[in-house]
Amino acid sequence: MSLSQPKMSVAELKERHLAATDTLNNLKQRLNHTRRSLLDTDLAGYARSQGKSPVTFGPTDLVCCRTLQGHTGKVYSLDWTSERNRIVSASQDGRLIVWNALTRQKIHAIKLPCAWVMATAFSPTGQSITCGGLDSVCSIFNLNSATDKDGNLPVSRTLCGHKGYISSCQYVPDEDTHLITGSGDQTCVLWDITTGLKTSVFGGEFQSGHTADVLSISINESNSRMFASGSCDTTARLWDTRMASRAVRTFHGHEGDVNSVKLFPDGNRFGTGSEDGTCRLFDIRTGHQLQVYCQKHSDNETPPVTSITFSISGRLLFAGYTNGDCYVWDTLLAKVVLNLGSLQDSHEGRISCLGLAADGSALCTGSWDTNLKIWAFGGHRRMI
Amino acid sequence: MAPPPLLAIGSSFYPFSPPPTTIAIRVPSFPLSHTPSAVKLGIFLSLHSHIPLFNGPPVSFALEYDGPPLPFDLPRAVPISVDDIPVASVVSQVPLSDTLSLPVVQPIVAPKNPTVKFSKELRTLGSEARVSKEVELGSERTVSPTSVIAFEDRVSQSNNVCELSGELSSSGAFEFSNVNYASGEFSDEGGSSRMLEESRGAGSSGTVEFCESFDKSGRSSSALRVSNELHQHDWASTESVLSLEYPSTRVSSLKAEDCGDARRPPVVTFDVDSDDALDGDFGDEEEAVTRPLKREPLTKGKKGSCYRCFKGNRFTEKEVCLVCDAKYCSNCVLRAMGSMPEGRKCVACIGFPIDESKRGNLGKCSRMLKRLLNELEVRQIMKAEKFCEVNQLPPEYIFVNGKPLAYEELVTLQNCPNPPKKLKPGNYWYDKVSGLWGKEGQKPSRIISPHLNVGGPIQPDASNGNTQVFINGREITKVELRMLQLAGVQCAGNPHFWVNEDGSYQEEGQKNTRGYIWGKAGTKLVCAFLSLPVPSKSSNSHGEQHSSLSSKAVPDYLDHAIIQKLLLVGCSGSGTSTIFKQAKILYNSVPFSDDERENIKLTIQSNVYAYLGVLLEGRERFEDECLGHLKKWQSSTPGNTGPGPESDEKTMYSIGTRLKVFSDWLLKTMVSGKLDAIFPAATREYAPLIEELWNDAAIKATYARRSELEMLPSVANYFLERAVKILRTDYEPSDLDILYAEGVTSSNGLACVEFSFPQSSPEETGETADLHDSLIRYQLIRVHARGLGENCKWLEMFEDVGMVIFCVSLSDYDQFTVDGNGCSTNKMVLSRKFFEAIVTHPTFEHMDFLLILNKVDQFEEKIEQVPLTKCDWFSDFHPTISRPRPNSNSNSINHNPSLGQLGSHYIAVKFKRLYSSLTGRKLYVSVVKGLEPGSVDAALKYAKEILKWSEERPNFSSSEYSMYSMEASSFSH
Repeated sequence: MSLSQPKMSVAELKERHLAATDTLNNLKQRLNHTRRSLLDTDLAGYARSQGKSPVTFGPTDLVCCRTLQGHTGKVYSLDWTSERNRIVSASQDGRLIVWNALTRQKIHAIKLPCAWVMATAFSPTGQSITCGGLDSVCSIFNLNSATDKDGNLPVSRTLCGHKGYISSCQYVPDEDTHLITGSGDQTCVLWDITTGLKTSVFGGEFQSGHTADVLSISINESNSRMFASGSCDTTARLWDTRMASRAVRTFHGHEGDVNSVKLFPDGNRFGTGSEDGTCRLFDIRTGHQLQVYCQKHSDNETPPVTSITFSISGRLLFAGYTNGDCYVWDTLLAKVVLNLGSLQDSHEGRISCLGLAADGSALCTGSWDTNLKIWAFGGHRRMI
Repeated sequence: MAPPPLLAIGSSFYPFSPPPTTIAIRVPSFPLSHTPSAVKLGIFLSLHSHIPLFNGPPVSFALEYDGPPLPFDLPRAVPISVDDIPVASVVSQVPLSDTLSLPVVQPIVAPKNPTVKFSKELRTLGSEARVSKEVELGSERTVSPTSVIAFEDRVSQSNNVCELSGELSSSGAFEFSNVNYASGEFSDEGGSSRMLEESRGAGSSGTVEFCESFDKSGRSSSALRVSNELHQHDWASTESVLSLEYPSTRVSSLKAEDCGDARRPPVVTFDVDSDDALDGDFGDEEEAVTRPLKREPLTKGKKGSCYRCFKGNRFTEKEVCLVCDAKYCSNCVLRAMGSMPEGRKCVACIGFPIDESKRGNLGKCSRMLKRLLNELEVRQIMKAEKFCEVNQLPPEYIFVNGKPLAYEELVTLQNCPNPPKKLKPGNYWYDKVSGLWGKEGQKPSRIISPHLNVGGPIQPDASNGNTQVFINGREITKVELRMLQLAGVQCAGNPHFWVNEDGSYQEEGQKNTRGYIWGKAGTKLVCAFLSLPVPSKSSNSHGEQHSSLSSKAVPDYLDHAIIQKLLLVGCSGSGTSTIFKQAKILYNSVPFSDDERENIKLTIQSNVYAYLGVLLEGRERFEDECLGHLKKWQSSTPGNTGPGPESDEKTMYSIGTRLKVFSDWLLKTMVSGKLDAIFPAATREYAPLIEELWNDAAIKATYARRSELEMLPSVANYFLERAVKILRTDYEPSDLDILYAEGVTSSNGLACVEFSFPQSSPEETGETADLHDSLIRYQLIRVHARGLGENCKWLEMFEDVGMVIFCVSLSDYDQFTVDGNGCSTNKMVLSRKFFEAIVTHPTFEHMDFLLILNKVDQFEEKIEQVPLTKCDWFSDFHPTISRPRPNSNSNSINHNPSLGQLGSHYIAVKFKRLYSSLTGRKLYVSVVKGLEPGSVDAALKYAKEILKWSEERPNFSSSEYSMYSMEASSFSH
């Protein structure tokens, strides 16, 4: 700060700042260069050389077997419970709906104080749900609390403090009391729900963090101290919750906003989906980009990726696109093995969110056509 | 035949690593279908085979299990390990289908099944009856789950198929048995999605999947529901996987607790009675809560007289209360019913749901009322009566396929292309495939739109048929069978039909369509004769149904309360927040609640401290500059001692030590960014100091040079001049203060206010139009500009707004901001960029835009001093005003438009050209002084007119369109 060295003039300071910025950019370039030179192969190349063959899908191996109808607005977010087959979905009609994924029944329909909701999550015990959106407040609903006279579930707690919209939220696994949110104010925050206060803030004004809106976060299921975040600054960052001051690692590579990040099931890699139409797989330990998943269309344009998720084993990467496609990638060979958008009963609008059931048996997609669909193995005749 | 399910899933989902065993078992749950014949998995088959045993009178097994507790080394003890999976695959290789499908279907179909009858009986009974039945059953229910397991074991011995299940289900067996047990219970009445969910508490999702298999097989929604009874015990007691551990008495007590603390989610209201059955005395209380009270009139006179004045007889004309049936004569009706905010209800009955038998009278005015009130009042009352929420059909009173409807479902039902006519509370069945609709236990009465996601799955005994002929899983009535026969449908051999909405039918399990039931002209005649429904024309064209469904998802009465959304955007500093606050103050009777005011007060106070900080900082700067000048001057003129040595230390910007300490401290706090945390609370302590500071000459001198302080916003003047008053603890912000204050509307994120325009006086405009106007609610949504420019991602959320109001501060034309790279940009150019981004955003492709040119008052002042051409965009502004006409020596200013007007007009045209070049449409412009209520009111009313106009636009010819073009309308004030 200039206060400590009052003798230095503004012009001098500016000069030094510029010089420092230059050095930084130089170093970054060199780093990138070195990285590229070290990266002699990608995952697909290696897998091919090992003689792996892509996963094949039979016609009934993944079909739409449930359509959850009930929202009247675009679905923006969904989450499964960890144990039971319930889904919570958030939509622009200003409601959260908790569904029974098997019976399609609505267990709760919660009217939100602010209709512009962008993220929702189930707590690990499934007793409460949280949501956040343009109101910059994270609202938590306890599903067991009594409804008020209008039949609405009251907000049991609000987490205030973000200075921008809340783009994503996720509970820290196995803890009902901690929550991580990503926000348009360029920060991620770890909250203590019992006190309603921030435990730590990742990024922000004085710290090395994202330089644009955080759009997505994903917590490592096996080591809940680590989480990844994706941002409009085209980078993804890896954070350690014990060390809020700086990101553990920054992952460059995307040419557009990183719309979605998802930790790989083994916790050592993570995937990203971006506005540039590609998905990428990064290795956490080496910091390398392992693979780009990009399907060129005939017009050489790829629609942006909105959301991604992995299968339990990690062999499959599900990616939703703005044009309503939902590709199933073979993670190893970087081949599209199935397009859910071309199947029967597919969505009519953009796929905005994806979620895999905790046991891996089903995939749920939420779309701007106001519906959610559940995809799973379908051995026989389709549902009516 | 399905492929081996477990293996198939494994290979498709988990090629990377061996799948966890639990998954392998859960996976097959999803691909089930409604067709009973489609149940092809070995697991399910083994399940179904148990049913007949459990369908007997429940008493029998209550007796049977009264015996000593069973040993606990049951199958559950054996955990599934990875090695078990191959076993599962073996199962699937057994040729099950042909031989084993029979045991599945038969028990379901059997019409003489005592269970089915019993359930019918129950359904027809009133709720009280149901409760009492439940109580009876309660004793039987004390059967311990363990005994069921034993039963299960026996079953598996008796049925060779179950060997398979035995192998498979070391964890699942218990769950199955629950299901079977429950199928004999059938007592539950509520749709109880919640209970279903709770059943998952049993820990294994396998449970519900198996229930699901029942469900799909077309019969057992009751079984499914009831199955949860047992599982709920699990849930209530522990989260343990198996509920064997505890005696059933404990279960019942837990249950009572559960009901007692009323933590029930809203979905289920009626299922309580079945729960409470476990302890009978609880039932009545719940009854009172869940069933609406039938209100009785407070007083009752002699028969036929008015309920209030006790005069008159049964022949005098009277008005009836919709709720309590009280009758009032024409003298008393207005007194008894007041202003009738919900239609014809006694004052005491307001807020209560209406008597369902009077639903038909809703909105039908009596002659008496017409005589008593004028036409407008009558219309208003009838409208309120029809559309107010209390008087709407309560969805939970309508049971479809045994499940009370949720609100959304009722809306779906009422708004489908072919809704059931005159929907009344009651029990209905609905065949989702064909659209057949009827009262529970009766023949179909109508064919409504098919495929509505309403109610539960249809039950075989829905229409109480006994013909053994099934349509879509429902046993049809004799009349229908007769019709089918007359229509030429082969009904020999008790076939099961699938009938689609277009009347095409096929036999279950076969692919090809056999014909069309309503295809022949004669059939319709027969149907008319037998008073059976035929599909209406529109239901045939099912292709367009889905589109019309999605387009009209709002019920009639909601249409009237529909909200028009206005999105208010603008760069920071453009005054969006002021306009938002104005709207709040203008249209809300209580613009700010006490809590809000308290917060606002704190905000204002810390703002003032911030302004003071800026002032103090400026003071330091000025002092330094002054000293520097002095030194320079002294050094350049060494001979001159000047004003003396004391002035070396003191300039007009110097302050006393005490104030200096305070000032240093304040600045330090500001730099560290802790101002927000420290201030408001410290107000009391520093208030006197502030007064002293403000009165100090140095501060006054600095304040005089405030225009040089860039950090100081223009509104700071307003507050600084009132600083002493504001910083007192007893300060109450006035509306004007709030209007001026910065950061009051949540600066991060979004704020919205709902309002309706107050009714203007009736002389001005037509009464009817006005009435309608006041019903429309508007929602003004103000979003913060930060981050909007680059990543307009969440703008997509606002595609349903009626109009975008874009706010530009006119006085910005000479302002510059410096961005991160050190480039300074004109704020007006920034606004333009932002405007372009918003206008061309795909979300707003067909949206109307209203441009608000704000702060015109400041602009008019400024333009006299700073030329508009200071902004590059406005370089071609050449006002004609500078050339006064030679012959007019009188005050031409008054006749000609002022420079300010010309300037704002010019900017408006600039924006209009830009807009039309971008979109090819016309931009609406309004010039506003944000701080003047009337000005904002006019702008928002203008917005209302635009919205109204855009609705009506298709009705007008294009020539009239020009009326709204720029010249005529943009400067309406």
